[in-house]
Amino acid sequence: MKRRGRGIACMWYPIGFTVAANPSAAVVKINEDGTATLLTGTVETGQGSLTILAQIVAEELGVATEDVHVVSADTDTTPMDTGAIASRTTYVTGNAARLAAEKAKEILFEVAAPVLGVKADQLEVSDHKIQVKGFPQRNIHIGDIAERARGVNGQPPIGSASFNPATVALDPETGQGKPFATYVYATQIAEVDVDDETGEVEVLRIAASHDCGTPINPMLVEGQVEGGISMGVGFALEEEMLFDGEGRLRNPNLTNYIMPTSLDMPKVEVDIVDSYDPTGPFGAKGVGEPTCVATAAAICNAIHDAVGVRITSLPATAEKVWAALQAKRAQEPRQLAAGA
Amino acid sequence: MDKKSAVIEKQARLQEVEALLKAPAAAPLAPLPREVLVPEARQQTPAVRQRATRPDGRLHGLGQTKYIDDYYLPGMLYAKIKRAGIASARILRIDTSEALKMPGVMAVITGKDVPCNSFGPSLKDQPVLADERVFHAGDGVAAVAAVTEQIAAEALEKITVEYEPIRPVLDPLESLQLETPGLHAPNPNIYGHKVIRKGDVEKGFAQSYRIFEGSYRTQMVEHVPLEPHASVATWDANGRVTIYSTLGRITLGRADISRTIGVPMSRVRVIATVVGGNFGGKNEITTEPVLALLAKKTGRPVKCTFTRPEEFLASTTRHPLVMDYKTGVTKEGKILARQIRLVLDGGAYCSWSETTLGKACILSAGPYQIDNLYAEAFVVYTNKTMTGAMRGFGAPQVCFAYESQMDDMAKALGIDPLQIRLTNALREGSLSPTSQKLHSVVVRETLLQAAQRFGWNEDGGGNGAQS
Repeated sequence: MKRRGRGIACMWYPIGFTVAANPSAAVVKINEDGTATLLTGTVETGQGSLTILAQIVAEELGVATEDVHVVSADTDTTPMDTGAIASRTTYVTGNAARLAAEKAKEILFEVAAPVLGVKADQLEVSDHKIQVKGFPQRNIHIGDIAERARGVNGQPPIGSASFNPATVALDPETGQGKPFATYVYATQIAEVDVDDETGEVEVLRIAASHDCGTPINPMLVEGQVEGGISMGVGFALEEEMLFDGEGRLRNPNLTNYIMPTSLDMPKVEVDIVDSYDPTGPFGAKGVGEPTCVATAAAICNAIHDAVGVRITSLPATAEKVWAALQAKRAQEPRQLAAGA
Repeated sequence: MDKKSAVIEKQARLQEVEALLKAPAAAPLAPLPREVLVPEARQQTPAVRQRATRPDGRLHGLGQTKYIDDYYLPGMLYAKIKRAGIASARILRIDTSEALKMPGVMAVITGKDVPCNSFGPSLKDQPVLADERVFHAGDGVAAVAAVTEQIAAEALEKITVEYEPIRPVLDPLESLQLETPGLHAPNPNIYGHKVIRKGDVEKGFAQSYRIFEGSYRTQMVEHVPLEPHASVATWDANGRVTIYSTLGRITLGRADISRTIGVPMSRVRVIATVVGGNFGGKNEITTEPVLALLAKKTGRPVKCTFTRPEEFLASTTRHPLVMDYKTGVTKEGKILARQIRLVLDGGAYCSWSETTLGKACILSAGPYQIDNLYAEAFVVYTNKTMTGAMRGFGAPQVCFAYESQMDDMAKALGIDPLQIRLTNALREGSLSPTSQKLHSVVVRETLLQAAQRFGWNEDGGGNGAQS
């Protein structure tokens, strides 16, 4: 008989390396038509980080995402970056990219100030324009200023910057200190069906509520959450590298190393909570790794809710759940059937 | 059909043909469809918070993305790596002469050919190719470059290696008991240790209404990126090497490649094109130095793409953890003290174990306010596939432990699982286990929002109800 259960798990996760410096540098070049190029040493590994960085630079320059082209991951042409690790790209590389864009923008403001008859610090960007704060009707197209910067002032608008999260080393005795600049938080709630005769677990749905600071691109945040949950489901129920007594791997292939496919995916309902981190680029933190953290715990709590067995070692395979159910039944006092 | 209607039909057809002949060569202008001119998210300002599509999405969708394995350089050779196949042994002799005699085999190298045969992000304990000692079955012991992948694979069979087997240590708890120098001399067996101490756990336990103890274990898993590790190395006549690689961290990668092959960084160029999934598994070099050396020896570009078994055997994996939790709570479910011991199975080499150790230890308390905490973590060597960076760096493991125990405590105390978490959750300004004052803390918000989305407080869900 299938029994339904639900389980909750919440988590916290830091952004960036533990104490160790993990800087990122970036270069932003504004082209003569007001579009821009970002040079970054980070690597697009499928998560959409280059799009996020383009959006951050675009926001800082008051242009659209499409106006920013990103050149990445070439040690000859792009500046140093600690890389696509530790959920740090949006926060650390993003901060570096924003600062580099800000520096390039400052050159544009210097060029635009006499044109608009104000001081540079009275200017702001908005929708492809450089405009006077409080007087948006006094504006000029960013491309006109970028061209003027090159052709009249002889000052090409290029900015470079780096960023490293602020940390304090941990005391070796007590571990006290500030290992990370910031953290994100999340809760996932799983609903499962457990077959109490076979031990098979089916994850039906997961409600996932995640904090990532400002979602620079909500669609990509949702993508990360769904992908992280698929890894979490595999970690919870199926995946395990098995070694024999000699230390040889018994299942180094996808026939015997079972991982979830799209058919095993539960319905995922993603919420991004309101959150703003003043130290992140436009309030953003990050979301990559945290998405797979709470899933296994939520699923195992749901199994416990469904059939009353506590799985203390992952993965919660059907064999393991079945064995736990057998053990539980063996301990239960036998009830005589009615009328016996 | 009678004659008359046939004539009428014929005439109608002729009229149709005539109309077509008289028609202008170009079709008349159709009225323009009424378009609502809303720019795509990519074209809108402000840019932040837009659901902008990814420029690489189109290429992926059209199958036009060029992954490393799609690269072909003129004259390119294919490399394969001979894996030890034994978890722990001393290498007595490697004979590559038969492989070298094979037609199509252009070069064979072993660890002796690597100028600096060690690397690693913190401890430099990992060989490019094992030359004296094998620490896990996936260790590479020789590499072949041949004109085809098949010849390279066949050549591996011709390489003979003589081993003196050493008893492997596979259980992290056994490894923990081993005396220094342990299995990975001169490094101590416990190659990383971390302590977080805050408040007074004994005092906290003394004040507790109940104390819960639990032990939890997690398994070793692989990242399984769809795209396996791959790289291509090619030299120019000025002695500069360019390496196209699936690395997620090119800065560290270049430093490691430069150091291991003994070439200054200015002569090493690393290009990471589009990487088809990383999840932490592509954060350090694998075959890059081997390919650079084979390419130099043969004067031709060399490519190597991992097979799926190699992904499991020779790349990093997630640390299995053994976790002991002891937690003291009040009657209302407020945590007063928590004591944790973590043992991380580090596998054959350090890799990113130190980072994983630190994160696991700091995060092991959970997103809760706990004034009295003692967390101690060890990472030990075993003779298994090395563990390293993987999405979560120890966090999914400790979350499994602290959240499992949280539910057990809630059940025993008769408190709703959501409520016990809300009672203990970190708040704005809370002090973390390392006494860091936290900002933009939204644990409670995520709990409440997920509960609302799920319908947690509605009746009828779960509790073993028949479905």
